[in-house]
Amino acid sequence: MTALASRGALRPLLAVLVSVLFAAPLYLALVNVFKPADAIRTQPLAPPLSDFTTANVTNAAQLSVVQSGLKTSLIITVGALLLMVPLSAMVAYYISRADTRVARLLMLFLLFGLMLPPQVVLIPTTVILRHLHLMFTYWGVILNFAAYYLPFAVFVYAGFLRSVSRELDEAGAIDGASSFKVFWRIIFPLMRPATASVVVIVALWTWNDFLSPLIILGAAHGVTITTGIYLAIGAYSIDYGQEFGVMLLASLPVLALFLLLQRHFVSGLTAGGTKG
Amino acid sequence: MIDSQSARWPVARRRSSRKARSPNLRFWTVPSFAGPGVVLYVGLVFLPLILAFAYSLTDKNLLSAQTGFVGLDNYRGLLTDDVFKQSVKVTAVMTALIVVLPNALGLGIALMLSGETRLYAVLRTIFFIPIVLAGVVVSFIWQAMLTDYGVINTVLGEIGLGRFQQGWLDTPNFAIGSIVAVATWQYTGFCAVIYLAALKAIPHELIEAAEVDGCTGFRRFRRITWPLVAPAVTINTVLLFITGFKLFDYVKIITNGGPGGSTNNMALNIYSVGFTQNAFGLASAQAVVLFAIVAGVSSAAVILLRRREVEA
Repeated sequence: MTALASRGALRPLLAVLVSVLFAAPLYLALVNVFKPADAIRTQPLAPPLSDFTTANVTNAAQLSVVQSGLKTSLIITVGALLLMVPLSAMVAYYISRADTRVARLLMLFLLFGLMLPPQVVLIPTTVILRHLHLMFTYWGVILNFAAYYLPFAVFVYAGFLRSVSRELDEAGAIDGASSFKVFWRIIFPLMRPATASVVVIVALWTWNDFLSPLIILGAAHGVTITTGIYLAIGAYSIDYGQEFGVMLLASLPVLALFLLLQRHFVSGLTAGGTKG
Repeated sequence: MIDSQSARWPVARRRSSRKARSPNLRFWTVPSFAGPGVVLYVGLVFLPLILAFAYSLTDKNLLSAQTGFVGLDNYRGLLTDDVFKQSVKVTAVMTALIVVLPNALGLGIALMLSGETRLYAVLRTIFFIPIVLAGVVVSFIWQAMLTDYGVINTVLGEIGLGRFQQGWLDTPNFAIGSIVAVATWQYTGFCAVIYLAALKAIPHELIEAAEVDGCTGFRRFRRITWPLVAPAVTINTVLLFITGFKLFDYVKIITNGGPGGSTNNMALNIYSVGFTQNAFGLASAQAVVLFAIVAGVSSAAVILLRRREVEA
């Protein structure tokens, strides 16, 4: 009886223990946001009690790299999504409905892009963007992200479209609606769960990306929040407290997005991963 | 009512006889639907890949106006380039560890946290949070822990384990280990998400039948769970290979390739050669080698792992 009871309690106990260990870096990052810099150095693990302060966050929010970084990241993330979502949805619709060899080859051609490390294509991308006079501009970064994440979005959409009945297309066609009308009025609204997944995941990826804005936007021309943190901590040598404040400000938007849309996040990752 | 149904019937039958192709997608819809997306993808993903091959045969350098064709000289040079050779070795070691560790831990955590109780749901969220943090943020959090006077050494001293204090980023092996630990921390949750979905898809009857037959514990895992999560193993393994090969943020920020190039992987080396030395031709040759490795390894992984997948 006691053996059984202890066996039943073992798993939750182990689960809590492992989770606490795993959460330690998160705990560390969070408590140190609200402590003065010297307390962070001497007692990094202590919770902020008598020395609780929000100065780190307010000071971090005043840094110009943080302010312009947050703004730039928002512009780039929203811009890339506005461009990529409709384009990828249309490509996926064509692939899932045309059912021809061309469509299947196109899918393979796109899937191939899913495994391409960004470092492989980044140098030529800068050359192309320079020719288009888009180097060191928001548009350059937006186009780069939209192109690079398009295959993932097509993949998620195409998987979802398999469960959307073709009879809807046909009903629309019989009513004389053009294929564009059928797609935008009937099919695209039905794809909302897939769109939610694509938006959450690609928003995270673009917001968090470091290499592309570092090169394409160029630190001298503007910073996103990630390149901004890198510069703020490396070049401006801000104090330890502000460092944690900056990191909190950079992470709050994605954490909020994740906690609000956790369901779509998980279903997008598993759909993008398991289908096909 | 009857009229409208009988009117629709022949239409439906005619469609189904034409192998279910949507009637409103005629040939012109290829350019209009797929066109814009494909143009974007070709222009900024596929064309750059072709150009990377082309540049790798030249001595293209941003600092010189002239670009000349040099054939395979860049590739020949790589054979005797010690920095490059070390970067290949570093990439191989890190990737091998990153494919194994988050994968194994992710599976363990998924097995541990699968289930409907509220406690497990909350704990699952803890493991998911690192996935959504930026690599830059994760790098700085861990840097604060790993430096000589960082949290890890402080805590080790306080709990009487001072003899385990280390310069975690000062010696090659510990530096590689630290980078791998950071990657493991961030990607374990991702693997767990995929494994949890796979575990959820295992039919309940199968588990119950196994229990009735007295197949429990490790044997049940070996005979039922493990074969049925095989597709998830494939996905995680392939994604971790790709993650390992392109790892950049941690090695740039935490160690910047050091000490002594011990964490200078191919991704970081391509960046340095390309954008610090501006040697586009040489960096492109390295990028092509990276591409060949990624393509080869991930195709091989898919083929080998798919073979052992079974249907539920």
